[in-house]
Amino acid sequence: MIGFLQPLALIALVAAAIPALLHLLGRRMPPTVVFPAVRYLTATEREHSRQLRFRNLLLLILRTAALVFLVLAAARPVARAGYGESHAPTALAVVVDNSLSSGAVVGGQRTLDTIVATAREVFSRTTAGDRLWLVFSDGIPLRKTRLEAIESLENLSPSNNRLDLGAAVRAAARAIENDPLHNGPVVIVSDLQTTALSPGEQLRARVLVWEPPARPMNRWLDSVYSQPNVWTPDGGVTASVGGSPDRPAALRLRVSGVELARTLASPGDRVVLSGSLRNTGWTVASVELDPDEMRADDRRVLALFRAEPAEVRFVPEIGGFLEEALMVLREGGRAAFGDQVFLGRVAQAGVSIVFPPSDPAMVGALNRTLNARDVTWQFETPVSGEWSLSDESGVAEGIEVYRRYRLNGAGDVFATTGGEPWLVRSGDVVLVASRMEPDWTRLPVSASFVPFVDYLINRIAAKENWIVTGSPGEVVELPVSARSMIGSRPTEVTTVPNSRRLLAPQQPGVYFLRGAGGDTVGALEVNADVRESMLQVADENQLRVAFGEESQLLESSLLLRGLFGGEGRFNLTGLFLIATLAAAVGEFVIASSGGQARKAG
Amino acid sequence: MIETRRKRTDLLDPFVVAQLGGIELVARGIVEGFLAGLHKSPFPGFSVEFTEDRPYQPGDELRYLDWKMLARSDRLFVKQFEEETNLRSMLVLDVSASMDWAGAEERLSKLAYAKRLVASLSLVLLRQRDATGLIAFDEEVRTMVRAGARSNHWWTLARAVEEITAGGGTAAEPALRKVTDLLRRRGLVVFVSDLLFDRPLVLRTLHFLRHRGHQVIVLHIMDPAELTLEGPPEARFEDPESGVFVTARPRELRSVYQQTVRNTIETWRSACRGGGIHYHHVLTDTPFGQVLRRLAARRSQLG
Repeated sequence: MIGFLQPLALIALVAAAIPALLHLLGRRMPPTVVFPAVRYLTATEREHSRQLRFRNLLLLILRTAALVFLVLAAARPVARAGYGESHAPTALAVVVDNSLSSGAVVGGQRTLDTIVATAREVFSRTTAGDRLWLVFSDGIPLRKTRLEAIESLENLSPSNNRLDLGAAVRAAARAIENDPLHNGPVVIVSDLQTTALSPGEQLRARVLVWEPPARPMNRWLDSVYSQPNVWTPDGGVTASVGGSPDRPAALRLRVSGVELARTLASPGDRVVLSGSLRNTGWTVASVELDPDEMRADDRRVLALFRAEPAEVRFVPEIGGFLEEALMVLREGGRAAFGDQVFLGRVAQAGVSIVFPPSDPAMVGALNRTLNARDVTWQFETPVSGEWSLSDESGVAEGIEVYRRYRLNGAGDVFATTGGEPWLVRSGDVVLVASRMEPDWTRLPVSASFVPFVDYLINRIAAKENWIVTGSPGEVVELPVSARSMIGSRPTEVTTVPNSRRLLAPQQPGVYFLRGAGGDTVGALEVNADVRESMLQVADENQLRVAFGEESQLLESSLLLRGLFGGEGRFNLTGLFLIATLAAAVGEFVIASSGGQARKAG
Repeated sequence: MIETRRKRTDLLDPFVVAQLGGIELVARGIVEGFLAGLHKSPFPGFSVEFTEDRPYQPGDELRYLDWKMLARSDRLFVKQFEEETNLRSMLVLDVSASMDWAGAEERLSKLAYAKRLVASLSLVLLRQRDATGLIAFDEEVRTMVRAGARSNHWWTLARAVEEITAGGGTAAEPALRKVTDLLRRRGLVVFVSDLLFDRPLVLRTLHFLRHRGHQVIVLHIMDPAELTLEGPPEARFEDPESGVFVTARPRELRSVYQQTVRNTIETWRSACRGGGIHYHHVLTDTPFGQVLRRLAARRSQLG
């Protein structure tokens, strides 16, 4: 297929009519010349009429062809070719998927090795004049030279990241669109998981997708979590298994490297691995499946926390609803009576959970007591209205509040209503802005109440064990009390920013969170994104939906052939100039052969 | 030597020579130059003077047998003769319209060239006391001067040549038939024409003349421009005699045209040679002396 870089020059093709026009115009009114030897001319024309007609036709064709070739050459023709040995300098983006799933083994070969080999082939088709935008599993396009790109493939290993292929391709497309060089295709060399195709804006760039080998069978751990989240000392870990084949596999719970429980589970099963923790406090555990073709998703880590139930002492003024909730928690082993947490009054020492007094006249005394305990929060004026709770834990999220005291001060805020603090903490003292009565809030008569009280006494007030989960590289939001995060080594300390958001570490594992006092207030569990375990390969229709109608799913050789299908071009300008020259020379030779004077004998 | 050649009128450019004066003067100049250096008559004829005998060879005419020698020696001898200048010759000049054409201003027209050539030739013939006559023709015989050998006959011929103007079409056959009537004895016929007419008819008449025992010389007069086909990029070429025209581009046709002309010349040459006719292709830029020399050399060979 031939294209033109300067198509406007083709307008000059009308000049091709010049020889024919000259021929027609030249036929008008030729001068009369007296010539006695007309009989020789007549004989000449009679004897050579066919030759002359052929010669004239040939001359007309050659003159027209010379003009046409010249105009075509001026239009800078290029032939699009599969294996363009030479092509215009092109900005080319290549997405090399080294995400977690690339570690899967297919036919005895790691998928990443096949991906790297294909990517290397792609790079070998480029020239030094091309500009490469290389995208790995982090989804960030990096500008590389050809050599740098080839070098970056050396020692490439599967990362722990999940690749959002849709986002990566769009970022790559934007990179080449902003590149001053001629825009080439976005080449995807990936295992092409369906789960990686995120929707987005339509792409203008041509997308060439390498057709990956068939997917292997994969079985993975869908989720693991501690239940209850506080072991006393008994507890369990709930694990669910996904994938295929549909036959049981061994599932083990290891705590500090020691197998604590074992069971069999098939894909789709949800099983509980129960056990007992010897030591109180935090423990790193893992749940492991029998290995299969993809090893990275056969193990998930989690943090276990063992503690005794909170020992609570309360005053009658807290109301019947709280009393009943505490009874339920006590019966469930989630609370006990004791002097660890004081509910409804400010204790001299220990943890206190304070509610507004039923008599507004008592607020002043309460505030003075709080002040005496160096609590930074104070109850202010009572307000009425209707607000919804916004609770960080989600336990009481959306519950209506009708009456409350404004809380004034500074410190940790765990829940708000109407944009104002509702559940706050200062040191060991927790303040709740509403009484736990139905005319203050609907919470006491809602199903969330008992979990809320459990959350209040076991997590906020006494024994914080915030568990945050995330996948490598994902943005996670840490609990309000977290001040720093400990890395894989104790010396690696990451300060939690004010936004409380940070990127989860690349390495799967358990990362403990430290509070202001240096105590451990929770843990961040980093495990592989479960979507990386789903190896279902996208088909061409799904690709077109994700990347537009221009996207093509091609096997390796076709991909390489089509790599510069749009840009791999033979510049035909020289060829057309040669053709012009040839036509001109031919015209000259033929025209001159008619004018050679030879001496008659 | 070079200086001498420069002064010889017969070797000058015909156009330059024609500027020297009238046909008589020019012809005389040409002939004087031409004859300078020649030691005997350039045109051996048939009325001859006995010189010696030679042994008879089969094919020799019996009338030249030396009967006296046969009687004396009983051997066959034939008589050898030195020429005698009482040859009867007739110059036949084509004066059709096609002859009145020159391809360039600095060249003589074919007719002007032919007139001067005929005048010169007639002077040469008369100088060697050959009776010489003239027939000028176009579609018919326009001028006729009977052959004569008297000393003032050349002036008659020259005046007749001088007065000739171009006519219309060409019909050579009647003129050549006229020659048959005028030359009772075997003689010399010089046919001067551009030969732009139907070849077979004229050739038949020429062959007839040859058959009658006449020596026939054809001088094919041609302008150099007729050889090469010059002209504007495209032109309407019109025949001055018939009015027939052909529209052509000289540049495109030139090569094949030249080939056609070469073929025509060659056809004339071979057709004449086959009939024992001397054919000479003469371009109008050829010095007159050269033409006369070619004629003399050819005649000497055949003599």
